[in-house]
Amino acid sequence: MKKRLPKIGFHFFCTIIYVFLLAPIVVVLMSSLTATDYIVFPPKGLTLRWYVELVNHPEFMQSFMLSVFVALGTSLISTAIGTLTSIAIVRHQFKGKTAIVQLVGSPLLIPSVVFGVALLQFYSWIGLAASPAALIIGHIILTIPFVMRLVVASLVGFDRSIEQAAMNLGAGKFRVFFQITLPIIKSGVIAGAIFSFITSFDDLTVALFIVSTDVVTLPVRIFTYMQYQYDPIITSVSSIMILLTIVLMIIIERVLGVGKVFASKNQ
Amino acid sequence: MSYLCLENLVKTFNKTEVVKKLNLEIKQGELVSFLGPSGCGKTTTLNMIAGFTEVDEGKIVVDGKPVHLLPPNKREMGMVFQNYALFPHMTVFDNVAYGLKLSKIGKSETQRRVLEALEMVRLSGYEKRYPKELSGGQQQRVSLARALVIKPKLLLLDEPLSNLDAKLRQEMREEIVEIQKNVGITTIFVTHDQEEALAISDRIAVMYEGRIEQADSPVSIYNHPKTDFVSRFIGEVNQIQGKVTEILGTHQSKLNFYGNEQIVAVNAMKNAEMDFFIRPENIQISLVETNDRNIGFKAKVERKMFLGAKTRYILKAQNKHLIADISNVVLNSNLIHEGSSVYAAWKPEHLLPSRNVR
Ligand SMILES: Nc1ncnc2c1ncn2[C@@H]1O[C@H](COP(=O)(O)OP(=O)(O)OP(=O)(O)O)[C@@H](O)[C@H]1O
Ligand SMILES: [Mg+2]
Repeated sequence: MKKRLPKIGFHFFCTIIYVFLLAPIVVVLMSSLTATDYIVFPPKGLTLRWYVELVNHPEFMQSFMLSVFVALGTSLISTAIGTLTSIAIVRHQFKGKTAIVQLVGSPLLIPSVVFGVALLQFYSWIGLAASPAALIIGHIILTIPFVMRLVVASLVGFDRSIEQAAMNLGAGKFRVFFQITLPIIKSGVIAGAIFSFITSFDDLTVALFIVSTDVVTLPVRIFTYMQYQYDPIITSVSSIMILLTIVLMIIIERVLGVGKVFASKNQ
Repeated sequence: MSYLCLENLVKTFNKTEVVKKLNLEIKQGELVSFLGPSGCGKTTTLNMIAGFTEVDEGKIVVDGKPVHLLPPNKREMGMVFQNYALFPHMTVFDNVAYGLKLSKIGKSETQRRVLEALEMVRLSGYEKRYPKELSGGQQQRVSLARALVIKPKLLLLDEPLSNLDAKLRQEMREEIVEIQKNVGITTIFVTHDQEEALAISDRIAVMYEGRIEQADSPVSIYNHPKTDFVSRFIGEVNQIQGKVTEILGTHQSKLNFYGNEQIVAVNAMKNAEMDFFIRPENIQISLVETNDRNIGFKAKVERKMFLGAKTRYILKAQNKHLIADISNVVLNSNLIHEGSSVYAAWKPEHLLPSRNVR
């Protein structure tokens, strides 16, 4: 009897949190189906009109493609650098190791606005104009800490005698890396890749400082569009972004299980 | 002609010499155990042979060719690790086939040899399983098959059985020896279990602090230890002291133990105190005094432990403890109680002289 009450309290608390987290998403998804010319919740009527309407806004499509391109580029490069750095950090002792760990982790601590301003200053100083490359570089810096956290977690407890066994059987260094090491830590690497993709794809704060009139990522496009208009097309674009993220999360879940991605240690 | 030659091997980690001018020669087809206490450099030596650890000084020669400068993937050695080290993302078949695929042997030949190797370790039918779906013993057998299938020049095993339970260890070690003899492969077997080493080895290399103290057949190691460390490390020993009372000739002296005199085959100096070791199973106990060549002296039974086939008696004589293990077939342990007075005795040839001359 005594234990019941805290348990009910716990469930209640959990429910509140779920509602709090999920409500905005549900609101956006549902509002995108409204038949009205303005955003309302609950939606009035039910139509896919605002999705069809997107065809008349090629700038959204353009931004979407740019965002996907930037996110893919970020994800690939960030995962490659992050994975190799993680291996170096976990396995070797070298001078300045702590400094590198701190430096690489610092984007997690600095507010993205500050980081965006800094990046803007730096780019104008070296004369790098707004471009997909400029965005990708910014996002790489932003996402490497995530990749490293995940890859380091999957490297902790990695039994190096497995690699020795492969060498023993005649495999050279590259073979060992690609045929043995990488497949074994692949859960961390894939999770890192997907996380950096999502982070880059969703980033508004940093991108705001870098974009120009013809290089505009999707979140920035939505943001600027909303400053002038407030029609449900915003909600349909947002819904598409949400759905894409959900699909990626499902892939993570399928490939690795969410628990593992968020766990700090490899079990 | 020896097949494997370790010449003056030296390895230093952080300024401490872990392996100190180690020398060993192994004949083709021989099974040699490295036996020694934890931290004596067994794994380090094995890793130098396999190429995972760089050799600081010295040479490793296999079949007449120096190999110590080659990377591990060019040394053609099969290694079996303590924790199996199977590739978790590959099936049993792919694990065993890995080395063959690298050596670019044809597909059908690979298939044939993998199946043959799995049959040898009695794991036919397990090809499609993943390592985590196997028991520890089965995993270690896959690991053995994987190492042997490439027909390596040497088989190196680093405590391959220490993660298995006692019964399985015994079974597996018999199996390993049988396979080793059938294949005829030169093998180094690292262990810190002396019973294991005694049971399976052609020769045992007893290691201590980065050196090989003695490399000999199990019988010689047990019965004729060449250093005090080997005497103490292999089996159990009592340490006893005797005083030389008379020199009877070269290699013949009379010594006094516990008030009794006995002729022992050692060179000695008159009145010197000498240390000897004697194994518990070489001490006899009786309720009446014995004579002939054995010395007999009075002792008190302090404690008695029933150990199945034998009983262990902790004796006290002249304020010193002695351990005696007596077969229960030879002496009914019910006749002797804690507190009983008995006569203890040993034959002079069972005394192992200590090098530690005082
Ligand atoms: N990579 C290393 N760096 C520094 N010291 C090391 C390294 N590898 C081994 N040592 C040290 O070298 C000594 C010998 O180690 P080794 O692993 O060879 O012992 P071992 O005989 O295999 O012991 P065990 O029976 O415990 O496996 C130990 O004191 C160990 O601490
Ligand atoms: Mg070891």
